[in-house]
Amino acid sequence: MIDLIRKLTEAYGPSGREEEVHNLILQELEGHVDGYKFDNVGNLLVWKAGTTGKKVLFDAHADEIGLVVTNIDERGFLRVESVGGVPPHSYVGHRVRFPNAIGVVYVEGETEEERKKNFTNLNLDNMFVDIGARNRDEAMKVVPIGSFGIYDSHFFKNGDLLISKSMDDRIGCAIIVEILRRVKKPRNTIIGSFTVQEEVGLIGASVAAYSLVPDVCVAVDVTDSSDYPKSFKRHSMALGKGPAIKIKDRASISNRGVVEKLIEVAEQEKIPYQMEVLTFGGTNAAALQRTRAGIPSATVSIATRYVHSPSEIVSLEDVENTVELLINYAGKGV
Amino acid sequence: MYLKELTELDGVSGNEQQVREFISDKIKDKVDELKVDVLGNLIAYRKGTKGGRKIVLAAHMDEVGFMVTNIEDDGTLAFAPVGGVETQVMVGKIVRINGQTLGAIGYKAIHIQDKEQILKPLSIDQLRVYIGAKSKEEAARQVKIGDYVAFTTTFDQENNRLTGKAFDDRAGCSVLMDIIDKIDRYEDDVYFAFLVQEEVGLRGSAVVVEQIHPDIAIVIEGTTAGDDPELPEYQWATHLGDGPAITFMHRGYVVNKRVYESIIEVAEKYSIAHQAKRRTAGGTDAARFARTGAGTAAAVVSVPSRYIHSPVSMIDLNDYNNTVLLLQKILEQGEAFAR
Repeated sequence: MIDLIRKLTEAYGPSGREEEVHNLILQELEGHVDGYKFDNVGNLLVWKAGTTGKKVLFDAHADEIGLVVTNIDERGFLRVESVGGVPPHSYVGHRVRFPNAIGVVYVEGETEEERKKNFTNLNLDNMFVDIGARNRDEAMKVVPIGSFGIYDSHFFKNGDLLISKSMDDRIGCAIIVEILRRVKKPRNTIIGSFTVQEEVGLIGASVAAYSLVPDVCVAVDVTDSSDYPKSFKRHSMALGKGPAIKIKDRASISNRGVVEKLIEVAEQEKIPYQMEVLTFGGTNAAALQRTRAGIPSATVSIATRYVHSPSEIVSLEDVENTVELLINYAGKGV
Repeated sequence: MYLKELTELDGVSGNEQQVREFISDKIKDKVDELKVDVLGNLIAYRKGTKGGRKIVLAAHMDEVGFMVTNIEDDGTLAFAPVGGVETQVMVGKIVRINGQTLGAIGYKAIHIQDKEQILKPLSIDQLRVYIGAKSKEEAARQVKIGDYVAFTTTFDQENNRLTGKAFDDRAGCSVLMDIIDKIDRYEDDVYFAFLVQEEVGLRGSAVVVEQIHPDIAIVIEGTTAGDDPELPEYQWATHLGDGPAITFMHRGYVVNKRVYESIIEVAEKYSIAHQAKRRTAGGTDAARFARTGAGTAAAVVSVPSRYIHSPVSMIDLNDYNNTVLLLQKILEQGEAFAR
């Protein structure tokens, strides 16, 4: 599974440009699903038929945050805006990967005072990207306006900890792929939705459940882990405590029936778990639960350090326990 | 081109009937079906020769403006913005209340203003609409709480530049009407959706997908130019005269890649001037089309407009004509478009 996580987190897939991630998922799932389709907005939906007539949908978003090129100056430097919630400080001196080039992000400042000011009030409006082009035309050929970039960052394993860009939410994608590979004969039909454009506005999840009409949805996503120095003191989530069963974040309140069932399954199977109340943020569950006449939905999260940075950290043990919890839930949830 | 008539009508969000009636009257004999839905969207339909796919072209009828919130004892009117309007552009403007009564949004003369306060944004609580009434009773004979208030700018043309109010998005409405006037039938079924309440939160478009189940939606907007000579060019969103603006991403939505790239292909194939929309702020109905029902592959093509969301905006006639041409060519591609 580590290899799967490495491939998925290193793939290129900023919001609206999820093809590489989708193709990789289809490749990894070959022979493990009964069918798949792409819907109107580009969500990848896969399924494995059960025998009860009931359907459980597991969702993970395929996209990651990034930058988009909005302008190129006459000397070939790029101007960018954010795709999703990008903290500008994560990009200072860091590299951004476009489909055909890698650029360096830096900050303007014509005097010491101005540079200092720009560094303390970081804003993409006074930052730029250097791709080594000599002029506008040269840059336009390699990275035309409207090109999307991501953190140029790599996967590595440090003991039980897995470190990479875009654990948000390729770790969710990896978990769902793993579930579909391990469950040979599902009791309830399992649908996997690998949705687009979560980071910019829950676009994919708003329509993903519309056509297949599942009986229950579980979004699998990351949540903020509060186990590092001076991390959010009002939160309880931590690496290694197991899958986090979300009760509430700012965008949705998990369906209580689904939450109770997840707890029941974890207790029965002796799978460690933690409860999650996140005071900000949101997941695709917010959109899934509002589909059609409403679908009971919840989120199961992976505690993650440094979300939206180039090095998001999760615990492999949590990932394994989440796979186990959701496999059991898929059979007993409805 | 219907820009003069369209921009001189009042149609603040939720009060689009003047605009709807004008459009409906002009197009009713040129389309196969025409209906007004529950929210007030006007939807026209023209059957395709093959009828394989459904394409929606959409523009919103509403404009930003105000609403009367109270009639004060002295006969002046308290008001609130409808949609995004700043107080800076309100002062000194003539407005029309409920399509009839004229009023002025006034403020202290410069002589008696505190020097520190000049050029600082005012709060809307410091502003009133003056309609010439001397008392509450007198004002109440002409206006009511809840009346809509609109800017009154008339349309003008100087050389290739057009000025007027509400090019956002009467420009889009006029583009759609021009396309309807070209009597060609296309391979795909084409729906022309004139939408309500875009400026207050993409509300009209929220009910269109369920009525049509379209494959593709293209939103036609009057979008920000921002080509302010005081700003470096790399901060401009679009530039007047450089052609229709094609959006790759805006607030809450990355434009469907297939449709976005196909639009550019068509523009290049027919050598139609075009430019990228180079800022991602602001949203359009495309986001709503994408995230409603079973979802839609939605895109945005815009006529660049200076000074939108103010009493007077400016567009370039060539940009307008190229927008009509680009959309016409897109429809002519039939099933080859966005495959």
